[in-house]
Amino acid sequence: MIGVSATKDLGKTLRVTAAEAAATAVLALLAAGGLSETAHARANIEKPIPLVAAPTAASDLARTAHDPLEDFNRGSYAFSMGLDRAVFRPVTHGYMAATPTPVRHRVSAFVYNLGEPGTFVNDVLQGKPKRAGKSSARFAINSTVGVLGLFDVAASMGIRSHDADFGQTFGRYGIKPGPYLYVPVLGPLNVRDGVGRVFDFFADPIGLAGQGWTSPFGVTRLAAQTIDTRANADLAFRALDQAIDPYATARSAYGQHREALVREATGAVQDLPDFDEVASSGAPAATPSEIPTVSAEPASTDAAPSAPTPSAPQ
Amino acid sequence: MTDARTTRRFALSTLVAVIGLGVLAQARPALAQGPRDPQAEQFVQVRAQRVISVLADKSQSVAQKKATFHQGIDELADVPRITNFVLGKYARTITQDQRQRFAAAFRVYAESVYQNRINDYHGETLKVTGSTVRKPGDVIVDTRISGGQLGQPVQVSWRVMGGGTAWKVVDVQFKGVWLAITQQQDFVSTIDNAGGNIDVLISQLQRDAQRPASR
Repeated sequence: MIGVSATKDLGKTLRVTAAEAAATAVLALLAAGGLSETAHARANIEKPIPLVAAPTAASDLARTAHDPLEDFNRGSYAFSMGLDRAVFRPVTHGYMAATPTPVRHRVSAFVYNLGEPGTFVNDVLQGKPKRAGKSSARFAINSTVGVLGLFDVAASMGIRSHDADFGQTFGRYGIKPGPYLYVPVLGPLNVRDGVGRVFDFFADPIGLAGQGWTSPFGVTRLAAQTIDTRANADLAFRALDQAIDPYATARSAYGQHREALVREATGAVQDLPDFDEVASSGAPAATPSEIPTVSAEPASTDAAPSAPTPSAPQ
Repeated sequence: MTDARTTRRFALSTLVAVIGLGVLAQARPALAQGPRDPQAEQFVQVRAQRVISVLADKSQSVAQKKATFHQGIDELADVPRITNFVLGKYARTITQDQRQRFAAAFRVYAESVYQNRINDYHGETLKVTGSTVRKPGDVIVDTRISGGQLGQPVQVSWRVMGGGTAWKVVDVQFKGVWLAITQQQDFVSTIDNAGGNIDVLISQLQRDAQRPASR
């Protein structure tokens, strides 16, 4: 794996839940691509992620494969997975064996609640007062009525959670993701989200209030978050094991997930690939780094413009 | 200590600065609402829920569930279309013989992956929440899946193609990740790394289909 940050994002991107598995079952022919859902994501049903993105020349899917450091990244990935097998996986499985699922759900809720102030900060930075109001209300409600965040009372009141971080905020203002990076221990990133991760770390209100990550509170929180996120991502790791090229699968899922998160903030729309384009096209084969079925503009003459899906950002 | 203070001041200054940017950047692109397709929605509601229900049926053995899925997959998913799509650019250059071997290997592989997850179903229910017509015969159906062991409902979108009452699923999205697109990048990367030799992927699929689930 993949340390704290890594588990956080790979977990978000790759964890397979029963619901996701249900979706996967219906499309079992696609089943090797596992997804994730953190406690954070689990409650994130406020609205669907926008399906349609701005028709720019460089589509988000093309950017997910922008991997000029692939040799280094693959080595880093292999090292991180080895570390996971040696350390994080056994620890996590021990934790999962020792704690019943309801208890783990409470731990996830507690850890997630501590991230709400960070979400609030990014909501504000993105100029989204309504979402900021929701994240702050969720934190207030769940920290009190929800017993320090152990229970998501706010969700039951209709105040659903949503994700926001500095990488998304940068994307909100048009910053491109840049090359893909797989940082040892930290896990999948791109340049934009890597910088965002640094901001997430140092500008986290709870971290600042808790005397930083080196304080007893900070260390405890970090350990709990690491184990919780890795536990939540366990099925995703299993899915990666079943991929033919796990590295490429993780890269694809991470890139798609992050760009969808940015679209959620911008309200942009995604131009999905034409499913029949590959078969019908007489064009020469794409370069290895190209995503052939995705283009910002219809590649075939019979491809009608995509109808955008509303994303309804504030 | 001084460093910590400096870091905090820097972080706070950054926040103040970016908040200013946020206030100035309220504009967003206008969004268009695509039409809904009730028939596509109905297809997903009925067929997807049926599969989920069968898989979660405790009265059926694992073997029965596998058999049910094996028999029903063609009613749900556009298998030939998906099989072609996941090959990406190599769908243009694959030989007829390779295509046949790939299709067989891919199906077995994918079903084996699913079968390793058969215990992940615990009575979830699916509810269609809307749809968007991308173009005639190409619809995204949004659903919410809840129940089972889910603490909270989750959003899953289904891309279906067809028309009238004849629809098939070609892709599924969760948290922004499309499974077929992800699978395509997995396979294309594998073939790329094999110097464009599709037989390497086919062999790998055949090998992995026989491999028991890890952990």
